[in-house]
Amino acid sequence: MILAPFTLHRPESLADALSLAAKLPDGGFDWIGGGTDLLQNYKNRLNAKDHVIALDRVPEMRGISAERIGAGERLAVISESAVVRERWPGLAEAITHVASPLIRNSGTLGGNLLVETRCYYFNQTPFWRGTKGSCMKAESDECLVVPQKEICYAAYSGDLAPILGVLSATLELASPAGTREVRIDEFYAGDGIHKNVKRADEIIVGVKVPAESSTLRAGYRKLRHRDALDYPEMGCAAALRLDASGRIELLRAATTAVDVVPHFVDFTEQMRGQEPDTAFAEVAAAMEERAQPKKNTSMPVGYRKKMVRVYLGRLLDDLRAGRTEGRIPAA
Amino acid sequence: MTPRESRSPHGVGQRVPLIDGPSKVTGSAVYTDDIRLPGTLVGKILRSPHAHAKIVSIDTSAAESMPGVRAVVTGSRDLRTFGVLPISKDEVALAVDKVIYVGDCVAGVAADDEETALAACEAIRVEYEPLPIVGKADDALKECPPEQKLHPGTRHSSNLQKQVDQNFGDVDAAFAGADHVAKGNFRFVGVTHAFTEPHCVIAHFEPTGRLTVWSATQVPHYLHRDLAAVMDLPMHRIRVIRPMVGGAFGGKSDPFPHEMIAALLSRRTGRPVKIRFDREEVFLTNHGRHPTKTSIGVACDGNGKLLGLDLDALIDGGAWGSFGVVTTYYNGVLSVGPYRFDNFRYRGRRVYTNKPPCGAMRGHGAVNSRFAFEVLIDELAEKCGVDAAEFRLRNLLPPNTTTLNGFRITSNGTEECIRRVVEASDWKSKRGKLPYGRGIGIACGFYISGSALRINWNKVPQSTAHLKIDMDGGVTVHCMAAEIGQGSDTMLAQCVAEVLGLPIEWIRVFSRDSDLDPIDLGSYSSRVTFMAGNAARRAAEVIRGKLCAAAARLTGYDAEGFDTRDGHVVWLPNPAIRVPYLDAVLEAIAGKGALIAKGCYHDAPPMGGSHKGAAAGLSPTYSFQSYVTETEVDPETGFVKPVKVWAAHDCGKALNPLAVEMQIEGCLHMGLGQALMESFGYNRATVGNPSFLDYKIPGPLEMPDVEVHIVESNDPEGPFGAKEAGEGPLLPILPSLANAVRDAVGITMYELPMTPDRVLKEIEKKERASAVREASEAANPKETVR
Amino acid sequence: MAETQPLRGPFRVPSAADRPPKQVVRLNVNGHAREVAVRPSDVLLDTLRDDLGLTGTTRGCDMGTCGCCTVHVDGRPVLSCLTLTLLAEGAEIRTIEDVAPAGTDLHPVQRAFAQHGGSQCGFCTPGFIMTSVALLARHPDPSDEEIRREISGNMCRCTGYNKIVESVRVAAAELRGEEVASVASPGDLDVPRGAYDKPAGAYRSNGHGGGKSR
Repeated sequence: MILAPFTLHRPESLADALSLAAKLPDGGFDWIGGGTDLLQNYKNRLNAKDHVIALDRVPEMRGISAERIGAGERLAVISESAVVRERWPGLAEAITHVASPLIRNSGTLGGNLLVETRCYYFNQTPFWRGTKGSCMKAESDECLVVPQKEICYAAYSGDLAPILGVLSATLELASPAGTREVRIDEFYAGDGIHKNVKRADEIIVGVKVPAESSTLRAGYRKLRHRDALDYPEMGCAAALRLDASGRIELLRAATTAVDVVPHFVDFTEQMRGQEPDTAFAEVAAAMEERAQPKKNTSMPVGYRKKMVRVYLGRLLDDLRAGRTEGRIPAA
Repeated sequence: MTPRESRSPHGVGQRVPLIDGPSKVTGSAVYTDDIRLPGTLVGKILRSPHAHAKIVSIDTSAAESMPGVRAVVTGSRDLRTFGVLPISKDEVALAVDKVIYVGDCVAGVAADDEETALAACEAIRVEYEPLPIVGKADDALKECPPEQKLHPGTRHSSNLQKQVDQNFGDVDAAFAGADHVAKGNFRFVGVTHAFTEPHCVIAHFEPTGRLTVWSATQVPHYLHRDLAAVMDLPMHRIRVIRPMVGGAFGGKSDPFPHEMIAALLSRRTGRPVKIRFDREEVFLTNHGRHPTKTSIGVACDGNGKLLGLDLDALIDGGAWGSFGVVTTYYNGVLSVGPYRFDNFRYRGRRVYTNKPPCGAMRGHGAVNSRFAFEVLIDELAEKCGVDAAEFRLRNLLPPNTTTLNGFRITSNGTEECIRRVVEASDWKSKRGKLPYGRGIGIACGFYISGSALRINWNKVPQSTAHLKIDMDGGVTVHCMAAEIGQGSDTMLAQCVAEVLGLPIEWIRVFSRDSDLDPIDLGSYSSRVTFMAGNAARRAAEVIRGKLCAAAARLTGYDAEGFDTRDGHVVWLPNPAIRVPYLDAVLEAIAGKGALIAKGCYHDAPPMGGSHKGAAAGLSPTYSFQSYVTETEVDPETGFVKPVKVWAAHDCGKALNPLAVEMQIEGCLHMGLGQALMESFGYNRATVGNPSFLDYKIPGPLEMPDVEVHIVESNDPEGPFGAKEAGEGPLLPILPSLANAVRDAVGITMYELPMTPDRVLKEIEKKERASAVREASEAANPKETVR
Repeated sequence: MAETQPLRGPFRVPSAADRPPKQVVRLNVNGHAREVAVRPSDVLLDTLRDDLGLTGTTRGCDMGTCGCCTVHVDGRPVLSCLTLTLLAEGAEIRTIEDVAPAGTDLHPVQRAFAQHGGSQCGFCTPGFIMTSVALLARHPDPSDEEIRREISGNMCRCTGYNKIVESVRVAAAELRGEEVASVASPGDLDVPRGAYDKPAGAYRSNGHGGGKSR
């Protein structure tokens, strides 16, 4: 397939990348990390830009340490890293849910957090869209899922935002104007087109996870047809700490692929001191209540919503019992 | 170690790796897209965005004037229609006057590079006038004016293409007198082959006036015939070459428009033209298994003896005929085994709709009806209080019999298949006894091993093989049986190795060039091992006679006493008397030149009834299967996860047990896909999910453990006793899994695929029903029997 | 009834003049420096197949799902259909053509796939082999579950995967130096030197002579 044409830039530093961006017209370029998401869209001629700026040689986006993961690090490398496995085993395991090993060898953490929202009517070829009249996220001005022109209902479908959310991660954003930090649970906003608070000329440089989070039990569970390749039809993450008497001390939950943005809820205040069984049931029900999937993925809407409660309930039980999914073999 | 029966270390019954394996694992195997001829142009096809529309006008002038564009072709009444079956040659290379599905070919472009060809396609202006879309099979049955028929030439006043009515015995009386009847309305979505190599063709109209076509096809002979028709050339002016084929499964068993378009473009330009599909085009081209509605009733007496089968299939054929007439018969007649019953009624209807065409796919015509039948057999068994495996054993056709509709059954290993899987799976201690959420199920299968009668009514043998041995001693086998990854080249080599007593390294197979290799009808209907295997064996036997005669001349012993074995020609009365193979060859060719022989498989013996359609489903022999599948079902999510499959298949004789296992496991995976997740989706009449991401095929993590049991019934007419192993093994996996799901959670699945949401819905329905029952029992305690 | 739905088509393929020009890039492919002229939007799969003639890497879906196009970039198996050629500059690229040692020998992974039913139509096979070779280089003794996880980005429609898993398992054992049984019975004919020129008449005086004739 022939990609939409573009000019490629490959800066060697963050400063160079940002100054390049400053020179290009607003919205006239895309950043490329691993490219596994972007290039598929370029092959399908979806919102391709005239310029693409590669971030693979930006040293500021590399490195994995106890405090920070470079956003340019490849997903496979992060999942295999000893630091990540030791401090955030739930994150290491969640990464194994992303796409396939081959994609994880190219795809980066930043790219995953910014994965393009997905929709049955959007993720199609030019020919296919030509037969259907296309949608507001591509070439037209109306939504084909929920007929109207205001909101794009493409689903946020990243696997890692939920787990990073319950681990209280923060994103480092750099732009020509300087750097800022945004909590990941405040990062996603808007709809399927206006997906987050990142400006076009900003780069996610790194992801910081507080030291305190390494003491939490956290995990991610994913609903999909196949145990590889598929995007989530629903995904949920949770972080848990029980006190000495076995009651809730901390409980956070998050979901993905059931709305245009991921959902993050910190239930700690509400559930502190409660019996886990009661708390788990309430949390799972509350997250199901919030889910508002639309009919734009493979599985039926009602089923995806219902599975929030089942998957999240099971995840919380697993966290209490210290069970993982065993997707990462013991060292 | 027991002595080897076969004459060759790589002969019958030996585990022989595929002979083309080394070229495949090194990347040196040459598929069509790997071929680079000098001066090749890139061909692209402009496809219809409408499911049904009149073509008002086509303006190609802008495209033709673009730099780098060498030719543009559009449809014309002057081009003959074509199609694999002589009775439904309803396909056109390029749309004439109207388009009938999204993806229909409207124009072809040849250009210097891909970008230019694509740009030229976009520059072609087509004015369409949309027509009402025939989207559903039920709509296609409605009477309609001729202009709303997809194919105005058909004889029905609707979009019905083919109706089959067959009636044996008295079904109504049998059902009326039956102790138990099970009925069901089943729905099957379409599924598609999803081979990994997209369609690709290169056509080169050479200055000599000959056309050479390289194509990823499993039916080079039918392509050859239809190219001759469309290009209006005698067959001898056309050469069809089949390079390596990256999977087919029936999806490359039709002559296709893109093959014609490449030839037309090459004729216009005088240069080679290559058309390689994007994955989306593969989906648009489809020819996969038909979406089908199957209504079925099965009856038995109180002892579990099957009395009758009442079957109705409404088959959604999409835009073209393809193999559809055969499909219409197969949905019925391939249900007459492996069980014996005396009353059978079948109504099959295939309709045209404005969807991508359906065609033949592995297990062609048999899969959906088999599923419905086997699921209802379990229901009957339960009603009779008979174990599901025992029920099947009580109703089996014996070997060497005739079915009620006249099929000749010869070898038949079903009983052994059932006994093997029942024992291996520990069926008796598991069935009905596993905890809730875990279950075990059984099902059988029955399939043709080649069609007894050929598609085109002529007397050309169904398969011919030529053998040649020159002074180097290597054996050259020529036969157009299409190697598509199933290992037919290896099978041919083994048959020859066995007869001549040679290691397989001495055999080389040429099966790709119509100029050099004699006709075999192609790799479809599971015919190649049976027919081409017999042809190769017979040719080798002629050569063996010449080698034995040569050995007799050399040694002075009688020729009749000699046989070929392990690289020698051996005098059997005293095996110490033996002539090395090469010496016998040199003697045999001395003064005469290379040894040449041919062998044919012509026809099965006369068989079959005299009713209308009696020939459909006739096969020189049939394969039989029985599978037991154990599965987990998650009652809270509805996920079905098969854990283990015990798969017994009667292939007559395993020429190559390794290859038989490969076929069985591949069938099983493909069947599981249809059972669990595969669905050729439609958005109105457009393919909804034309990608490997959205058309869900099970991956390595979804595959259960498989234990293959090869059952050998030694077919009297098969080569060395062999019959098919490439399609029948797909049949039992779907119903055996559904029956296991029933055993696990008590639900019957009338609709495939068994996606988790559907399974969960059925579980919840059952739970609600039992809750209502419990509530009413609680309300009326007197009625409760404890 | 005639729904004249306008068909949108902002999908115009730019003409040659609108496309950025090709630029020459030096790639390290299979241990050799290769210069090719590519566009910024060219992916490695096209460059390998069309510009370098390395057709062992196949194109199945062109969208990152089937894994047919898997190659190694700096030792890691990646999808060449989703890798920009220009971004592979400076990396070590290795394709299926470089897996076998010199001559006609096969790499143990290749041998295992050929002998244990890991390859049928062969179209996906180079991709599986690239994935498996990389897996075994990092992880010499994977469990079946780990093999399945590692190959889950490669699609095969022929084998049903179980024989691929077996092939990788067998190759792993061979690479660890364990004895591995061959599936194929050995048995080529021993052809003595000069056998092709033996005068046929020499036969009877060669030990078999004196047979009764009829």
